[in-house]
Amino acid sequence: MPPILETRRLDRAFGALRAVADVSLVVERGELRAIIGPNGAGKTTFFHLLSGVVRPTAGQVLLKDEDVSGLSAAARCRRGMSRTFQITSLFPELSVLENVRIAIQAKRGGNTRLLGGRALLARTEAGAREALGFVNLEDRAAVPASTLPHGDQRLLEIAMALAQEPDLLLLDEPTQGLGVEETAATAALVQRISRERRLTILLVEHDMDVVFNVADRISVLHFGRLIAEGSPAEIRRNVEVQQAYLGDMD
Amino acid sequence: MAPLRRWGPVATLVVLAVLPWGLARHQLSLLTDLLIFSLFALSLDLIMGYTGMVSFGHAAYFGLGAYGSALLLIHFEVPIPIALLGGALGAGLVAWPVGYISTRATGIYFAMLTLAFAQLLYTLAYKWRALTGGSDGIAGVPKTALWWGGPSLVEPRAFYFLILVSFLVAFVLCRALVRSPFGRALQAIRENERKFATLGQDPRRFKVIVFVIAAALAGLAGALSAPFRGFASPEAMFWLLSGQALMMVIIGGIGTLVGPAIGAMVFVLVQEVLSSYTEHWMLFTGAIFVLMVIFLPGGIVGAARRRFAA
Repeated sequence: MPPILETRRLDRAFGALRAVADVSLVVERGELRAIIGPNGAGKTTFFHLLSGVVRPTAGQVLLKDEDVSGLSAAARCRRGMSRTFQITSLFPELSVLENVRIAIQAKRGGNTRLLGGRALLARTEAGAREALGFVNLEDRAAVPASTLPHGDQRLLEIAMALAQEPDLLLLDEPTQGLGVEETAATAALVQRISRERRLTILLVEHDMDVVFNVADRISVLHFGRLIAEGSPAEIRRNVEVQQAYLGDMD
Repeated sequence: MAPLRRWGPVATLVVLAVLPWGLARHQLSLLTDLLIFSLFALSLDLIMGYTGMVSFGHAAYFGLGAYGSALLLIHFEVPIPIALLGGALGAGLVAWPVGYISTRATGIYFAMLTLAFAQLLYTLAYKWRALTGGSDGIAGVPKTALWWGGPSLVEPRAFYFLILVSFLVAFVLCRALVRSPFGRALQAIRENERKFATLGQDPRRFKVIVFVIAAALAGLAGALSAPFRGFASPEAMFWLLSGQALMMVIIGGIGTLVGPAIGAMVFVLVQEVLSSYTEHWMLFTGAIFVLMVIFLPGGIVGAARRRFAA
């Protein structure tokens, strides 16, 4: 079986800055992979390149052996790649349930139904409630998304991605802005998604405790380059990685 | 709120159905005009309120509808419903390429593109004398019958009811539309277009479709106005009317459907009353608009909802 995701010499320059430089990596099915790196390492740009928000200046992105480098974010999502954003991205005035429902209908079709569609709405509602149940937001289904506390908004965004039943889930700093307890809960949730749903997850994360606790494998970016890859134990011992992080501190 | 929700529409319908017998001829004519503008403002709310696309050129489609139905009625003396259909379809057809091109941009650039296209169409209507009669417009548009050989709709009350029914059908249609899966997707696009795109669908497709629907409904309003007033003129396509439509929607309450319909009535009534007292009425409507935007955010309907919800 081909790897679920592969990048080949992926490159993205912004003017003179090479935000992502020559990154080749492979993510196997079922893996929980974390991408780490000091600030400005190019993690978010790398994520945008994978999901199609930003186009590469060179190199390729392969999803299930298909070159998707030239495809839009929407097209990549339809092919099985769902993502969340570092800064929570929702439909604030719509209800929590509606947020998830839009996500499901965008993937399966149905958003173009002009009139009626009552049966369709009922069908997607079941799926939406299931996804909300998974992140424990079911009892908040009716309130506008903007009224949820920050932590719940992050969970809602994960639920939207989950509801799309992707093959590959990209999570961009899911613990961003969360307190200690919420961070632990989110880390546990990410693990649950990986195990119970057997979903391949690619995670960009700042919180090292989370990364070393949940990831199967870790890839380290530094100044846009991939400098190390391995199990959490291997990465912990890696001298180059230690230097990258220590160098970042002064 | 609940009793208002339930009985408000019924009461409004009864009043609108009975009023023609209590009004003088010129009053009935004014009421008919109000309904035409209500329909026009309603159509703008679909794109402006529900999709977040502010168009500065919505009058173009009102005008296209007016010319379409005027030409069909004068040259072919078709029954009214066919003229209405023709006007609406014509407006929608022109809106398709305009929407396709304009939705490449968003925000103020989208607004400017719609304005540019509208002024282009206005100039076309103004210059193409052979077809449109230039600045004189097309006069003597007849009120034909509902079907071939049927009784003519010259009687003011008959025409009033034609417009009332058209408005109601359009209103019910719009309500069904904004509650449908498509309508909810539109609101999602309004809320966060980038997120919508990353969820797997191209927002532009939705925007073009709703732009065409809104234009067709504006065209229907215009198509009704031509036989009602007896003429179609380039003023109906001028940017002034596009601007007024924006004001109607904002005064009534953006994204509420019923609000813009009410806003249109208030706007035209205020204009009617003020212009009978002073020729500087625009100054006063402008001032009223500014005050309403400051003190009634959410418009008339928004304010009513806040009041009854509290």
